[in-house]
Parts: sequence; C-alpha cells; structure tokens
Amino acid sequence: MLPFREDQTHWASETRHAEPPLEKTMRSIDIHAHLTPQCFWRATQDGGDWHTVKRDQDGQGQEIAVVGGHRGQLPPKSSWTPEQRLSDMDSLGVDVQVVSPYSGFYNYHLDASIAIATSRDSNDEVGQMAKSWPGRFAGLGTLPMQDVGAAITELERIMSQPGFKGAMINDQINGKWLDEPEFLPFWKAAEASGAMILFHQGGNTLVSGRISRYHLPNSIGNLADRTVNFASLVMGGVMDACPDLRICLSHGGGYTCQGIGRIDRSWETRLENQVHAKQPPSAYLRRFYYDCIVYTEQSLRYLIDTVGADRVVFGTDWPYDMALDWPVSWVLGMESITDEEKELILSKNLENLLGI
Amino acid sequence: MRSIDVHAHLVPQCLLKTVDAGGEWHGLRLSTGDGPKHLEGHGRTIPLPPPLRFTPEQRIDDMDQQGTDVQVVSIHMPIAGYRLDADQGLKLAQEFNDEVSSMTKQWPQRFAGLATLPAQDVGASITELERAVTQLGLKGAELDTVVNQSNWDEEQFLPLFKAAEELGALLFYHPQPADNLLAQQMNDRYSLGNSIGVPLEDTLLVAALIFGGVLDKCPDLKVCVAHGGGPACFGLGRLDHGWKVRSEARINIQYPPSHYLGRMYYDTVTNSEAALRFLIDTVGIDHVVLGSDWPFVGWDPSPAGWVQGLQGLTQEEKDKILGGNIETLLHI
Repeated sequence: MLPFREDQTHWASETRHAEPPLEKTMRSIDIHAHLTPQCFWRATQDGGDWHTVKRDQDGQGQEIAVVGGHRGQLPPKSSWTPEQRLSDMDSLGVDVQVVSPYSGFYNYHLDASIAIATSRDSNDEVGQMAKSWPGRFAGLGTLPMQDVGAAITELERIMSQPGFKGAMINDQINGKWLDEPEFLPFWKAAEASGAMILFHQGGNTLVSGRISRYHLPNSIGNLADRTVNFASLVMGGVMDACPDLRICLSHGGGYTCQGIGRIDRSWETRLENQVHAKQPPSAYLRRFYYDCIVYTEQSLRYLIDTVGADRVVFGTDWPYDMALDWPVSWVLGMESITDEEKELILSKNLENLLGI
Repeated sequence: MRSIDVHAHLVPQCLLKTVDAGGEWHGLRLSTGDGPKHLEGHGRTIPLPPPLRFTPEQRIDDMDQQGTDVQVVSIHMPIAGYRLDADQGLKLAQEFNDEVSSMTKQWPQRFAGLATLPAQDVGASITELERAVTQLGLKGAELDTVVNQSNWDEEQFLPLFKAAEELGALLFYHPQPADNLLAQQMNDRYSLGNSIGVPLEDTLLVAALIFGGVLDKCPDLKVCVAHGGGPACFGLGRLDHGWKVRSEARINIQYPPSHYLGRMYYDTVTNSEAALRFLIDTVGIDHVVLGSDWPFVGWDPSPAGWVQGLQGLTQEEKDKILGGNIETLLHI
C-alpha cells in the first residue's frame, strides 16, 4: 500500500505545500501549461463578450467562462499577465512554458466562424508572448477542429511563425474520434508542417456518461479518453498513414502503458483490428510522446520502462488544481529515476523534438 | 499449494439444455440463423464458444491441462438477469445458484461457487445471497460493475453490502465484456469495449466503492475485482490528487483513495508480468489472487504455471497468490 500521510488530508488548492522546492539543477521545459488569453479577459471586462464567449461569477466570486451554454470555472491564476506567469515560473523552476490553450475555449461545439475567430485571437496572443519572451515561451495553438479545412489553414498559419511548435486538440471532436477519414487531411498537414499535436480533453469525457460524482469524469475520464485515443489512432491507421507525425498524449497517455497488454491481445485475436494497424499496438508506443503527469513515482517509473525515457516529457497542468505544487522538485526528488532520465524528461527530449 | 482460480465463467447446463431443445431460458434463446449458434436476449447477442458449453467433467479435464486445482465458478456475466423483471431475475438466479451448488457438492475438491443475484432488486438479492451462502454452501456472489444505470456507491445498495459483510460473503466484481460503458459509447470500434472498456469498468467500480464510502461503512466487507482492478492501481495518484483538491471527492471519505485500495482483492488477469508486479507493489502480496478468465484464458495457457514462473517473487509469495490468500479469505 502507498504511504499515507496525515498531513496531506487538509489541502487547499490555492495553497502550496510549505516545503521548499529542491535546488534546481537542470533546465525545464513545460509542455502542459494552459493560457486563458488576455484578449478574453479584456473583452469581457465590462460585461462584454469575446466572440460570443461571456464571463460570469459564481456564488463564491469565482470567475466563470460562459461558452455557448457551457460554464467553466476559471482559477485565479488563469487571468494572470505574462509577467505574473513568468514570476510564477521562476518560483517553480520552470524555464520555458510551451503555452497551450485553455481547453474550455476549444469551441468545437459552436459555429465554426466563432471557433476560427477565437482560435486566431488566442493564437495571435501566444505568438506575441513567444516573440516578446523567446527564451521563456513557445506556443501550441488552438484550432477550429469542427471545420477540418479551417483547422488546417490555422495550423499552417501558426506554424509559419517563429515560436509555434504545434497545437493542442481534444481527444474527440463533437463525439468523433480522430481516426475518422475526414481528419486524415489534418494529420497529413500536421505531419508536413512538423507540428506536434498535444491531446488534452475538454468538456465531457467517456466517464461523464456514467458518473459525474467525485471528480471522476476528470480523474478517471481523462485517462480513459487518452487511452481510447491512442488505440483509435493506431488501429484506425493514422500512425501508419503518417509515419512522421508527432503526437504527445497528456496525463502520461492515460492508462495506455498499463493497459497495452490487453489492447495487444484484442489486436491479436480480432482480425478486424489488424486491417489498418500492421503491427501490434505495443509496437506503436514509441511513436508517441507522453507527459509526466502521473502523480506517483511508481507510475512514472512504469511509464518510462514501457515507452522509454526518450518519450517522456515534462508537463505541469499549470494553472489548475490538478497540477502538483512543485512539479520540477517532484521529478528531481525521485530516487528510482536516474539523473540522465530526469534531464531527458525535464528538458532534453523537448529540446531535441521542438528545437527549444 | 493448491491453485485456486477465482475468475472462471460458467454457462449452466440448465440453460444449455433448455435452449438446445428450442426453449427459452429466462429471456435467452439460441440464435436461428446460419453460422455458429449464439445466445440472444436481454438486449444482447452472446457468443457461445465451445468451452462455454463444457460439462463439469469436460471443465475438470481442461482445469487439469491448465494446472488449476479449484475453480471458484461464477456466472458468465452477459447471461446475468439484471435487465429482467425482478421476479424473473430472481428465478434465473435461483436456478443458476442451485446448479452451481450441486457442482460444488459433487466435486468438492474441484469447485467452489459464487452466486448470481437479481441486483435490480436489492431486497431479493439479500434473500438470495443468504440462501446461497447458508443453504447452498456458496462463497459469495459475482456482481456486474454497474446495475443497469446505477453505480454501486448509491445508497440503495448499502443493505446488500451490510448483508454480505454479515455473511462473510465475497463479492467478486466483473463487468460486461461487450456491453459496457465504453462499448456503448464507441459502437465497439476495434473491440475497445473489451480491451479498454472492461478494465475501465473495473476501475470505475473500485472508485465507486472507495469514494462512496462503502469500505468505511462496511469495514469487514470482502471484495475482489476482476482483471486486477484494471488500471486502478496505475491511476491511483490522480484519484488521490483529485481527492486532495476537490471537495466533492471527499464527501464520503476522510482518507485518500490509496488508503482504501489495499482493502480489496484483485485477480491476476493483468496481461503482463510488469502490470501484475505493479499491482502487487501497490496493494500488497496478500491481496492478489489467481484468476484465469476461463475459458477466455489469455496470454498463457496455464495461469498457475505463469504465476509459478514469475521472476522476483519468492515461493511463499507465489503460494499466496496461487491459493493461500483465497483459502484464508473463503475457507476453501
């Protein structure tokens, strides 16, 4: 059984543990750091809207984004300016954030023209951040994925700008998974542009259809969706059709590495699963990258042992409550991870992959 | 040490006799089209591969080949009767449980049994569980990971947990292999309902029992989860973190989920040595028990032989997994 610490029973999401971070000995690049753009905060400041997206407050004074009938909580740090963000990165020991969008602003369920407008606005702001602080920020864009042609156009637009490394998208687009044939041109465009696509859920997950209690749509659902995504891209043939495609699965790829044995088994025993995927799914594990957000040393060790230390990258989930208090210290402090592995995870893999 | 398999499915002979004669067994019939015959009913199409038709004698032959001494048999979950009217669900359960009981009496050295219950009716389930344990000599019951649309953390199920705790009955949880949450939402593309959906169900069940406070309310409840509990142990850190930062995750429990995981038992159907090792390291060697998923025995023709061959376990540890733990738990 895992050690249980009494002092962890009282925890406030906005309060960091008092324990100081370990002395930082390596560069760190964070692939999983969200941005709720300042253009949204400005446009909604006096009750206005940002391309129909509005702002409200709940009973406790917490900021709420109202997106086409969906209401999403915005934590205090999500309104921070780039300067405030840099200051927090300094205290965390994060050298570079590869800034990605707030998943509540995917806007796939809205009219495509709205998603195109919010994507351009948000991406322009990320591009400006990368331009102003080239040593501290790089970018992953957001794309209007409900319109594949427009998504490709926006991806190509941002990838022609310095600082952009790819885009973050949801595991499913309005209920469609990314191995549907209509998305193949998108994958071809991502491959051709060298973009890295980071997968991150937004809104409901598969678990939402079953139980909404205890935060399980997030704490189990994210991991389930990521696993289904891996299997869909592999058995749907996307990974064979696009051999140079770069994909990063957030939250450590969910349950993928733990469940790969059973996924392999279903590939071996069911011929229909071999139509597109010529090799067993486990042979594709190293085609993907995985962030390190798995919370326990045992799980991170397992992930490394399964996919290789050269496939695991540093992520924090800034600025949400599911982020660890001291993510850099967390990696540095692990006894079962070698210094060489720590350096690969914290910086080297992303340096090599994204040229940061 | 005897090898005792906690995860062994059974389609009863009473069902096969009825449907083979053209009849209906509590809503289930044999298909009439060309090709291999399967069962139809309860809104499902249920394949019947030849081993699922084995007589007890044939089953024992197969156990001998696999090196399994004892099977704790339980109903093949697709034929459980949760979708029937409660009355008929109870009749299905009684008929199944009677047959399992007679198997365990005729071959007491080779079979122990778990009941099936009409879980859509908690009162009838309690009555039948009491009959199964006190009169039929069964060791507990096998339950689906969800009861139609209801999760097991719901208040309505607490009396059943209390009864099981009182009786010392084991509750063995096993999901639908092809009609689960993920299969339904994905139209079973790439068999994901089985490959990912089954272990996902196991993990959702673990979470429902933990976050629902069931293990606090019933401290002596005996629970075993199939497929090693799915990725519950691997994803435990995220569950713990969610518990720390979200008040809705703490409404029923005052300790993090990791405090409770090792209270339950998990079978060895994990598909890899690495995954089994992770499970053992997380829940402890005393809480892992041999399972085969018979007749769908997966990655090794002899689950017991596979455990014997594992690196890094002492013989004492292997013996616990093979039979020692379940002997202690069920007094087999």
